[in-house]
Amino acid sequence: MNVLLAVLWKDLVSEWRTGDRIVSMLLFSVLVVIVFHFALPADASQLLQTGAAGLLWIAYVFASVLGLNRAFALELENEALSGLALAPADRGWIFLGKAAANTLLLFLVQAVTALAFALAFDVRLGAVALRFAVLMALGALGLSSVGTLFAAVAVRTRYREVMLPLLLLPVMIPILLGAVRASSALLERGALPSPELRLLVVVDVAFLIVSFVLFEYVLDE
Amino acid sequence: MTNAAIAARGLEKRFGPVAALRGIDLDVPAATTLAVLGPNGAGKSTLLRLVAGLARPTAGSLRVGNPGDDRRRTRGRVGYLAHASFLYPALTARENLIFAARLYGVLDPRRRAAELLEAQGLAAVADRPAGGFSRGMAQRLAIARGLVHDPSIVLLDEPYTGLDRAAAHALTERLRELRAAGRTLVLVTHELSRACELADRAVVLARGRIVHAAEGPALGLAALEQAYLASVESAA
Repeated sequence: MNVLLAVLWKDLVSEWRTGDRIVSMLLFSVLVVIVFHFALPADASQLLQTGAAGLLWIAYVFASVLGLNRAFALELENEALSGLALAPADRGWIFLGKAAANTLLLFLVQAVTALAFALAFDVRLGAVALRFAVLMALGALGLSSVGTLFAAVAVRTRYREVMLPLLLLPVMIPILLGAVRASSALLERGALPSPELRLLVVVDVAFLIVSFVLFEYVLDE
Repeated sequence: MTNAAIAARGLEKRFGPVAALRGIDLDVPAATTLAVLGPNGAGKSTLLRLVAGLARPTAGSLRVGNPGDDRRRTRGRVGYLAHASFLYPALTARENLIFAARLYGVLDPRRRAAELLEAQGLAAVADRPAGGFSRGMAQRLAIARGLVHDPSIVLLDEPYTGLDRAAAHALTERLRELRAAGRTLVLVTHELSRACELADRAVVLARGRIVHAAEGPALGLAALEQAYLASVESAA
């Protein structure tokens, strides 16, 4: 647990001082909203009603890939990843620390993007804000847990910038299935559907457990 | 072999088709210093990374610390000063040490960080980001990081790189203190004089094999230099 908190603290302090990830993630996801704002016709309210969730999750997925690639670039400088791997603790705790930092950053980006989206398209998120925040948090946890594992795998490969999305995007499908459907239902009907919510929780827990166990081997050279 | 801090038998490490280490048999008794010499690409750093627990052997056996210790416990016994510093540039010197101390479960990380900063002459710059440090300062901070958990086995991969004369002298004194305190040291270096000065025993690696071993009188500079050159030429 101490290792988890130490890694989380280190990642957040480094990010606070450099803005390395959060700036590029925010710029990218807000840019997606702006592009759609210009692309969609003024009377696209019906289209938005059904497609808003998909649009938002497109921005979230690509912002997360961008952030995850940078998350381990930080560990490449001065071979800090080897320094982490030397810790006499279960390496799963290192994974949890990195995944927690990635989840928090992604959640922040999601929140700002949702706000930008609501302003750009005059969508009233206020009434469902809390439930939408729960969905975003579950989605962020899923994307960040499996993403942290694959980012650690990809970071030592020659084409890591390409390798991460290749590895990650197919595995993200169950998370996206649950998150997009649940978000659509929430924005259209104001209710969270139980099956999609359960799917998200089950996938998150499964990814966390598998990644915790596999991280021991991922950090070996 | 029973009191050896490090014991390797038929140790091999391959990276795809490339054999970095081939059939290494090695015992390092506890509380002694071993110098590992050899040309670039001989496998010296790979040997240290295996001992540190960063990589797994392809074949053979390797024991570090007490028999029966698992990999986690072994990592806790080893302090490793590598080519790279393992430092985070955005964190201050103090924060880097506190972070490392937390990773190793040190009881009072702040106090330990303050002690090490003082010992390495970095107290005045303790709250400056490590990213702005000169090569020598970063190396001193990396040495402090490697010793943060007071390890019983210390692995040093060319630790004198980037140090000025005063810092190099201070490091030599620190290594002598560690040895006197019963620590086991493994020192990879290209400087034969350092090896003669500090080590009880030296091995020369070439192309992944131990091609020469010396201890006692054979550890004199001239004898070691002759053996080193002959071993490296014969392996070429």
